[in-house]
Amino acid sequence: MIPADPEARDALAAEYALGTLEAREAAEVARAVERDPDLAATVARWEARFAPLTALATPEAPPPDLWSRIEGALDPAPRVVARRWLDGWKLGAFGATAVAAGLAAFLLLRPAPQPQFMTVLLTDREQPAWLVQAEGGDIRLSSLNTRPAPPDRALQLWALPQGAAAPTSLGLIPHDGRLTVRPTTIRPSPGMLIEITLEPPGGSPTGRPTGPVQFIGRLAPAIRS
Amino acid sequence: MLRRMDAATDLGPLLAAVAHGDRAALRAVYERQAARLFGVANAILRDRDAAADALQDAFLRIARRAGQYDPARGPAEAWLAAIVRHAALDAVRARGREIPTDDPALGDQPVEADALERVAASAEGRRLRDCLAALEEKNRTGIVLAFVHGLSHAQVAARLDLPLGTVKAWIRRGLLRLRECLA
Repeated sequence: MIPADPEARDALAAEYALGTLEAREAAEVARAVERDPDLAATVARWEARFAPLTALATPEAPPPDLWSRIEGALDPAPRVVARRWLDGWKLGAFGATAVAAGLAAFLLLRPAPQPQFMTVLLTDREQPAWLVQAEGGDIRLSSLNTRPAPPDRALQLWALPQGAAAPTSLGLIPHDGRLTVRPTTIRPSPGMLIEITLEPPGGSPTGRPTGPVQFIGRLAPAIRS
Repeated sequence: MLRRMDAATDLGPLLAAVAHGDRAALRAVYERQAARLFGVANAILRDRDAAADALQDAFLRIARRAGQYDPARGPAEAWLAAIVRHAALDAVRARGREIPTDDPALGDQPVEADALERVAASAEGRRLRDCLAALEEKNRTGIVLAFVHGLSHAQVAARLDLPLGTVKAWIRRGLLRLRECLA
């Protein structure tokens, strides 16, 4: 049980960061951090407080073959969400099937004009979170059961055309999770990267993403029946 | 586009690229940080094979979670080290923390006063060192042994020759004092 009392939560986060929790408790905190942004921030504060102590561990070269082992472990089932969408709809990875099935159901319920391009943005647990559809010059975002941003942060939508150096802001996502924009400087195109980042209230102060990428996907041609 | 990417501050943009599935960026993170992070894992596992397994596990987690790194919450080095420490701690827990605590290599450096000087390379490190120095010695030693070498409460208790309950309470009190001191 993750406690509700702030002092008890802070103490638990501290012991998790320190590493003294038992296996079961530690696993519980690790799971809770994934869905509880407040607990994640509390843990991150403790990790940052302790971080200078890592200087006490003597640096040491790892075995020379370790990188190739890591790369080999990445290959068979790329877990990075962006990679899955790099290849569009054709790849047969297990998660894509479930997402496509969900998307088909969604489209059946909404016999709207068919978009030219679309993508589904996934959570880090590969659950569908947002549907992005492009038609004409419009980009339309709809929430698929997305949890809201933390109270002191905003979700900002970005588009990065292939070959572009920097993403273009498509604006802040309203609380109801629906947004339609017609960007003037870019046009939706296949392969365009769409991402949502966590930003300060009012959006990125720099005009570039400053916060972590929360969701990401690439526009692909929509399936026409 | 060529630019210098050797500074630690470049880890943030590299992690952003990793979040986009950029494997070359992941390799760049590995090349910059592997020796430091392998040291972190080996201080906990004290077994090079196990430390290599933990570092591999950690880099798979880094590839998966790079999008979650938030610069507002602290430096990228701290985020990376935390992932490596938790991967190593998971490995230690999976084998029941059977690593002997009477290992003469264990904790001898950290408990020396001058070892804490190494922590003080940054402003944050100096504050942490000063706050740790203000704790009672056994309290400080317990926290350092747990963090650097992954010792459980029971192992800290055995090493300091104190009852388990006492060690738990001391560490908790020490963490509270640390938080107040660092605030």
